Amino acid sequence: MDDKYKFIDFLGLRFNVANDLSVLVSAVLVFILVFALSRKVTMRPGKAQNVLEWMIDFTNGIVKSAMPDGSGKQFNLYAFVLFLFIFVSNQLGLFFQVKVGGFTYVKSPTSNPLITMGLATVSLLLSHYYAVKKFGFGGYLSNYARPVKFLLPINLLEEFTNFLTLSLRLYGNIFAGEVLLALIGTVAKSLGAVTFVAAMPLAMVWQGFSVFIGAIQAYVFTTLSMVYISRKMEQE
Amino acid sequence: MAGLLVLGANQVALGDMLFILVSFIVLALLVKHFAWGPVTKMMDARSEKITGDLDYADQERSRAEKLAKEREDALKSSRAEAVEIVSKAKESGETQKKSIVSDAHSEAEEVRQRAKSDAAKAKEDAMSDAQNDIASLSLEIASKVISKELNADDQKSLIDSYIKELTVHEAK
Repeated sequence: MDDKYKFIDFLGLRFNVANDLSVLVSAVLVFILVFALSRKVTMRPGKAQNVLEWMIDFTNGIVKSAMPDGSGKQFNLYAFVLFLFIFVSNQLGLFFQVKVGGFTYVKSPTSNPLITMGLATVSLLLSHYYAVKKFGFGGYLSNYARPVKFLLPINLLEEFTNFLTLSLRLYGNIFAGEVLLALIGTVAKSLGAVTFVAAMPLAMVWQGFSVFIGAIQAYVFTTLSMVYISRKMEQE
Repeated sequence: MAGLLVLGANQVALGDMLFILVSFIVLALLVKHFAWGPVTKMMDARSEKITGDLDYADQERSRAEKLAKEREDALKSSRAEAVEIVSKAKESGETQKKSIVSDAHSEAEEVRQRAKSDAAKAKEDAMSDAQNDIASLSLEIASKVISKELNADDQKSLIDSYIKELTVHEAK
């Protein structure tokens, strides 16, 4: 789209203010949510604690379906934070967009490929780290030539495709959702009251669908992260 | 936007990746400290407590079952004991009755025997008294009849022989 962004150059790196602010807002929202739900932790859970435990059980279930032997317990926290962060990020742009003077400041951070690539990097780095930790560096390298030697180039290629599909799937879905919302918005503004009324139900339907997509994509991203980690941690 | 995808392009804000890395890690640490830690600890404690409670309930139930069985056994044995006591009492009553009856029998027999012997002795005494009386009486009569002092001893032997003859006659 024709959004304009403010950039800040700092220490030789370029920061997109819109992305960073959105990430920050999402992170703060996740933290506030989780913090508010965990104030009274008791043996007999109250409503808030029940909600939090339900979310924890949900993400634990994702980890367990990828690593059924209980070795995935150390990733429970990661899956929980990842899922909540991506979910909140996906929904953020649907109801909360800040534009000042033509510059976008807050939107869905996951509608930017660099952010999703950052998240995918975290997941894949974790998978490599734990593979090296488990098999040693030699074992980790030899895993690329399994189950048969001639699969080595394919396995190497797979690392890059994993990274790209994981990050770009999320980016594509959320970005497309925002693009369509913006399109509906321009339709609403194009011919005054008539199009405004006509575009209203469209926008509502698409927003509802985007909430659904955001939830599904958060689930998919978390599940695939866990699958990649579990595949790195077993020898074929 | 397409320019953002080309790595190495001048406009790419690579700092964003660093930013999200750092903010994600900080978020994870904060979540761990404020929510994840306490809640998962409580969840573990709860599941442990539930397992413990279930174990305890199993244990208690088996104990209760054992106790009930013991009670039942005790009741059964006490019933048998009661039956035994009653039958024993009956038996001892029976033997006591028998012994009392036989004692009475023997006592009665003894009494009868004694009475018999007493009667025989009394008869004998009476007989000997009568013998003596008759002897002296007949002596007196004879002396009066004959008016002659007969020798008492001769007279007595005469009477004795007479009495003996009499008793033999009577015994027949």
